Amino acid sequence: MLSSLFSRCWALLLLSLALWTTSTTAEGETPEKQAADFFGRHESTSGHTNNWAVLVCASRYWFNYRHMANALGMYRTVKRLGVPDSHIILMLADDAACNPRNPFPGSVFASSSRSLDLYGSHVEVDYRGTDVTVENFLRLLTGRVSPDMPRSKRLLSDDKSNVFVYMTGHGGNEFLKFQDSEEISAFDIADAFEQMWQKRRYNELFFMIDTCQANTMYTKFYSPNILATGSSQIEENSYSYENDADIGVSVIDSYTHFVLEYMERINKTSQTSLQDFFNAYNPHTIRSHPGVRSDLFQRPLSDTLLTDFFGGVAHAEIFDSSSSNIDFELDEEFASKWQAVYDDACNAETSSDGGDAENSSERVAQSSIRKIGEKLDLSPGKWKEARKWASVASLGALIAWAASRW
Amino acid sequence: MTPCAFRLTKCLLALGLFSLASTSASASSGPGQGHAAPIQARETFDESLTLRPLPDGRVSAAFEFKTVVRGARPREPGSLGRAREEGDVSQHYALFPLELGQILRAHAVAELHLGLRAGKWDYDAWGAPGAWTTADPSPEPHAGVGAGAAGAATGAELYAWMGDAGGGEGEGGVSIDDRWTGLRSALAGLFCASLESLDERRTCAPADAFPPSGTLPPLASQYRPRSNASGSSIGAGGGGYYELRHALQPAEHVCTENLTPFVRLLPCKAAAGLGRLLNPQKLFGADWHGLGVHVRWVAPGGGGGEGGVELVLAAQGVFDPVRLSGSYRSRDWSFQRLFDRLVEARCPVARSSRVYVELPQDVAYSVVPEPTKVEGAVAMYDLLAENAERVDVSLRYLLEKQFQYPTARPPSLSPLTVRRALHGTSQAHGALAVSVTNNLDTPVRVGYLETLPALVTLWLHTLTVTLDGDARPRNDLLTDLTYQPPLPHGAHTGPSVLQAALAIPPRATLRLSVDMGKAFLRYTEHQPDAMRGWDLPGAVFFPLALDDKSYGAGLASAKNSNETAVATTIGYRIHTPNLLVDLATPDFSMPYNVIILSCTLITLIFGSVFNMLTRRWVLVDMDEGLDVE
Repeated sequence: MLSSLFSRCWALLLLSLALWTTSTTAEGETPEKQAADFFGRHESTSGHTNNWAVLVCASRYWFNYRHMANALGMYRTVKRLGVPDSHIILMLADDAACNPRNPFPGSVFASSSRSLDLYGSHVEVDYRGTDVTVENFLRLLTGRVSPDMPRSKRLLSDDKSNVFVYMTGHGGNEFLKFQDSEEISAFDIADAFEQMWQKRRYNELFFMIDTCQANTMYTKFYSPNILATGSSQIEENSYSYENDADIGVSVIDSYTHFVLEYMERINKTSQTSLQDFFNAYNPHTIRSHPGVRSDLFQRPLSDTLLTDFFGGVAHAEIFDSSSSNIDFELDEEFASKWQAVYDDACNAETSSDGGDAENSSERVAQSSIRKIGEKLDLSPGKWKEARKWASVASLGALIAWAASRW
Repeated sequence: MTPCAFRLTKCLLALGLFSLASTSASASSGPGQGHAAPIQARETFDESLTLRPLPDGRVSAAFEFKTVVRGARPREPGSLGRAREEGDVSQHYALFPLELGQILRAHAVAELHLGLRAGKWDYDAWGAPGAWTTADPSPEPHAGVGAGAAGAATGAELYAWMGDAGGGEGEGGVSIDDRWTGLRSALAGLFCASLESLDERRTCAPADAFPPSGTLPPLASQYRPRSNASGSSIGAGGGGYYELRHALQPAEHVCTENLTPFVRLLPCKAAAGLGRLLNPQKLFGADWHGLGVHVRWVAPGGGGGEGGVELVLAAQGVFDPVRLSGSYRSRDWSFQRLFDRLVEARCPVARSSRVYVELPQDVAYSVVPEPTKVEGAVAMYDLLAENAERVDVSLRYLLEKQFQYPTARPPSLSPLTVRRALHGTSQAHGALAVSVTNNLDTPVRVGYLETLPALVTLWLHTLTVTLDGDARPRNDLLTDLTYQPPLPHGAHTGPSVLQAALAIPPRATLRLSVDMGKAFLRYTEHQPDAMRGWDLPGAVFFPLALDDKSYGAGLASAKNSNETAVATTIGYRIHTPNLLVDLATPDFSMPYNVIILSCTLITLIFGSVFNMLTRRWVLVDMDEGLDVE
């Protein structure tokens, strides 16, 4: 009698213990960890899920061939490291490849050895010629484009996008010339980035500029998560690297040449950090003093991989439901407002070709709607909690029952 | 994704393509189901390359890639405003490019022609552009593109015929102008071209010069007829009508980024078939090159057989083997020399894949490899034949050590020789002069069209027409003049459109001159490279429908004014090269000077006045210190 009672008691005890252990071990396996295990290497601490690149050559005319080559060299690098053409916005203010002066039609070379054709056979230039204006650049960054604007000319980034912005051209103290007819100022770019931040158009932003007095261009930034670097300090010129006798003009700038040389050693799985990259700056070989501004950037540069900005990632975004419930309260009014906007957008989209209607506001609406859906479900975190307390209660009941029988 | 997996996916995709093609080919297209006929009827793909040696030692290479979706028809424009579920049929294509199909259906385009071309086409030495050989009885392309639709307008040219069901916007229809805006934006995104600049400042509707090359499908009749159909439209029964939109950006650059999406629309891309030869480094080094996208509808029955939507992707280059051969100065050519590539493999989904080579006359030559067939002076190679692997067609002139340029100009290959120039050095006035020489032994009637942006204004009262250097005006040779003045500013901007019918006696030169005023642009209206000047689009000489009254009825009355022999017209449109107009440009730094000066003045005046108004003047008693009040 007593032995049977003990055996039943042990069985119950074991059962409750088993329940307890499963609940505690499941707690250690966070969804992020599971997803990271599933997708393999996830050593980046950036938290971004997609990459965008905006590459701007703001100079017109044949003698600015080197600026076209600068931007195309960056284009080749980000494309080689995995950013797809649909995520690269390339702006070239003039046509160097098919210029009648070019002795190598359809080709742009960045070195006098002419071993690598940067134009290739698959280049996609999104803004070119007279389309490259200050207005179009700012509209691209802030997403304020006409509804007819095709997808290939839009920066469809979100709050999980790492955006790389590269600019080259002729500039001066706090300005960069576009097309030799207008200027963009450091304040314009700073305000555009702030608007991007407010519209959740980036997670982290890396700004690189190669122009005379380039470091003045990032002094006015005030938005978070921006890392900036430039080719030369105030009152200092950026110089070209080398001439090509057959092309007849300089083919690349010194700073960009250094960056591209460095990038050629990087591959998609590289663990090289931005700190390593900045440490490699040598004012003697670059012939100007490159600068770095990292006070707005939240992560240590030694933990930030070069491929966080130059490489393409395709990480799945795992929503932590317990944390999303916290900011959901704040978002409720916002979400209901955007729900109406989203419905309108869906209705208006019927006759378009499907791609144009997507814009940042809609994306915000979608993510808000997703959060609503999660609240209605019984979330896995709560279920785990309930199971934990149930097992504790059953254990207590078992002890109480055993004590009463004693 | 690993490269291996990527390759596997590509294979799977290719397999899917094949299975789609085979199923769609085996499925018989059933009877038409109203306007929502099944898209996935039958699709065929034919490709051809026509190589034609030119008298000046150059070689014209014209590619045509023709995809036909049989049984399909353009979208009914009346369905545009409806909800998504009943708006349009779903699109499943095996060979027809989906990206283009979506754009065409989203804007209900019945016919579309896009050209991206660079260089000056020399009509006298080269004849008509497009894929044809001199052996043809008439200089008409023997493959897809209709007569003259190939065109040679320099820059980016886009024109489209779009229907309006006549319901107006009240019934949820989308206006033709809105669709035109959407169409050019979508095509700009697809082809990486600056087609957004083809806005209302450049858009006009010269329907007589750009008639539809296919058939415009009749529109459904359930919509209310519209009373005031404009003159440039074509009625389509049931109250619906079709309108043309045409725009030309003469300053467009054409380069690899335009060829990349072009090649992507081909079923075999640049991997196999003739698309392999589209090498950007060679094509854009040609003396003249052009890309064309031509979509039209062929009506069932008649010559078109079953009918359907036809897409012709055309690429043409005029290569100069004499220049490419350097010091050898040889006009021998081969695929390897012209394109730096060979046809490595056949395109398996092509129904036909042919190379036509026009053989030289009265010269010893050898052509390698052996042609599949020789018809008259045209050799044909069938690239789908069993032994067609790594095809490199080459033509050698056996007895010619060095090519000697002809000293005497050979007889013109074009019915008309056109020269067009701007005269005058002033930045406010100028004159446009056009001389047209008739190279035929019969009188020629031809349409003349100028579409000039609002940068210049033509003064029609100064229009003079003279013949053969004779000073006496011959205004009787110019008839049916219509002129639409430019609308420079404000909400209604538009180009000036001058259209007339010219009658030119045989072997005579007609000179036409008109004075013009040049616009004084606002500071912000100047383009970046303002000192270079502005490109003006070329004039168009187009065939007149001499006895066809269906459209251009006004021009047909010109028939009786010439008393001499029976007049003919030209077989294709002739585009003249662009002109560069020099407008008055401001000193661009002047606004900054004005701003700085006026700011200084305002600061000085405001500062002193404000100072005087706000300052209180009091007497300070020095004994009691500085304690005021």
